[in-house]
Amino acid sequence: MPRINKDQASAAVWFVAGLTITVASVPYGLGTLDSPGTGFLPFLSGMAITLFSFIGLVHATLQRRMGVGWNPVMRGLIWKKSLIVLLALLVYVLLLKPLGFSLCTALFIGFLLRAVQPQRWPVVMAGALGAAAGAYGIFEVWLKAQLPRGPWGF
Amino acid sequence: MDFFQSMVMGFQVALQPGNLFFCFIGVLIGTLVGVLPGLGPVAAISLLLPTTFHVTPVSAIIMLAGIYYGAMYGGSTTSILVNIPGEAASVVTCLDGYKMARQGRAGPALGIAAFASFIAGTIGVIGLMLIAPPLAEMALKFGPPEYFSLMIMGLTILTFLASGPMWKALLMAAFGLFLGCVGMDTLMGATRFTFDIIELTDGIGLVPVVMGLFGISEVLLNVEQSMERSIFETKIRNLLPTVKDWADSTWAILRGTIIGFFLGVLPGGGAVISSFVSYAVEKKVSKHPEKFGTGVIQGVAGPESANNAATGGAFIPLLTLGIPANSVMAVLLGAMMIHGMQPGPMLVKEQPGLFWGAITSMYLGNVMLLILNLPLIGLWVKILKVPYPILFPLILLFCLIGAYSLNNSIVEVLIMVIFGLIGYLFKKFEYEAAPLILALVLGPMLETALRRSLLLSAGDPMIFLTRPISAVLMLISFFLLAYPLVPWLRKKRAILPEGETED
Repeated sequence: MPRINKDQASAAVWFVAGLTITVASVPYGLGTLDSPGTGFLPFLSGMAITLFSFIGLVHATLQRRMGVGWNPVMRGLIWKKSLIVLLALLVYVLLLKPLGFSLCTALFIGFLLRAVQPQRWPVVMAGALGAAAGAYGIFEVWLKAQLPRGPWGF
Repeated sequence: MDFFQSMVMGFQVALQPGNLFFCFIGVLIGTLVGVLPGLGPVAAISLLLPTTFHVTPVSAIIMLAGIYYGAMYGGSTTSILVNIPGEAASVVTCLDGYKMARQGRAGPALGIAAFASFIAGTIGVIGLMLIAPPLAEMALKFGPPEYFSLMIMGLTILTFLASGPMWKALLMAAFGLFLGCVGMDTLMGATRFTFDIIELTDGIGLVPVVMGLFGISEVLLNVEQSMERSIFETKIRNLLPTVKDWADSTWAILRGTIIGFFLGVLPGGGAVISSFVSYAVEKKVSKHPEKFGTGVIQGVAGPESANNAATGGAFIPLLTLGIPANSVMAVLLGAMMIHGMQPGPMLVKEQPGLFWGAITSMYLGNVMLLILNLPLIGLWVKILKVPYPILFPLILLFCLIGAYSLNNSIVEVLIMVIFGLIGYLFKKFEYEAAPLILALVLGPMLETALRRSLLLSAGDPMIFLTRPISAVLMLISFFLLAYPLVPWLRKKRAILPEGETED
């Protein structure tokens, strides 16, 4: 039988998070009941997170005793694709300012079209350039949003 | 100003060409959002919020509201034709709508969904017009304790109605409250949990959080599953329901409208819950409940009326009390604040043009939706055929641009990506994000109300129970919190006598 179930795992993480928030709120000053301080509500929310996660932990443990075991969350799923998308998003965030909106967007769209569920190269090229140009036209030119420009001015 | 004068003024505002245009754009985008699975009205409103910065506040609100009720119309199309709900409020429409399509009755199913949506949407707006002004008048009597108790009740109702164990929903609400505390403490002027990041001084932005939790996480989930979609190939004809269809649906539409409107008004209620309740009621009152799920028209008409009427009802607490009833309204509240408006009891008095203009635009929006939806169903089906591997990079791009252009900040984009990952994990571990969003929006208001109440009572928390309105609201919250314990207590009581006899 698996050692812990999904809710036990997540409740344990929340329990630690709740305690951390509670402790970290104290230095901001809890104040008194007639004049609550800056840390008062964060402290209460931290306590609430700790309490509810503890209830969750007990509930999940009782469930496990009834046979609700660990259910791998990634079973049967192509989780690598989610990871690729997530990494692409993070790289986009890092490169947006240095490369500028248009180039960064074209690379981002092209990469996703090719890497997640590979499309033919003409589709990738058209998608990448079309999306970058279209988004630039709509947001920069029409809606006057100030998108980052690269060293080449676009 | 009497009711009719107000209505005339509202129509004068709503019928201005610019406002009509934005109403049209809103309902069109809303329908599109409803049609496309994986992009709901919350993410869409957040996504398009930055595009409204260059228009007047009234046009912005008209457009953003149009997205909300437009999505309710569009959601039924995918439920009926693809058996995939375009958004959560149309989940229940799949049960009978898709079966009707498989029986060659896609036309009447789509037709009754559109007509029911129109009728319920319009009645919902009438209800909003009638109830909102007196409620706003009453809300003027609310002090900080009443506001605090009302917000607690809203959060409790939402956690009570959330799917899954209540502890998870309460935990989400508590986490949302904490996130709402990040940034400047408005009463003391000190900052909290900002880690010296200047962008966090104003708090964690609602829009990046919503786009992450609802937009990015949805894409992350969708790409790891099979991205093939099969559309049931059928000729869509006879969109106009027959006399028999109307006879079968009329009461379902009326019941759905009433259920939807009142559940929509309730903080924590909304379109999703009302559609499920309406379906359950229709099944209960039917002479042939066993036929539900096999393609009966009441199973489409009831829930579709309910989810549209709920949109009108949901505006009531927002416009009169400044309290959002659900996560869509929470985003809309954020949008109104960005545009310099403060929804609440004073809105009707201080900005009547905006208040009545926004409401009357919903009449026009509902008419536009009826005209739009029936002839454009062919186009929506074509859009549904766009392969998801091509669609999802564009959804991500819109999210990225939306998050960046809010404040031209990379930090906000990063926050969105982080919350995308968090939202993905929430879904994997079955945590609902709606209580978090509501608590995030209510957090600062709730904190101010709590601290002011305690200042007022010199630190006596009994102030929440000694003032009548506040006490009633608090009692409702306590009841809802204690309710899940009832089956457990009953079980205990049933076991106890057994144990005694054994002894």
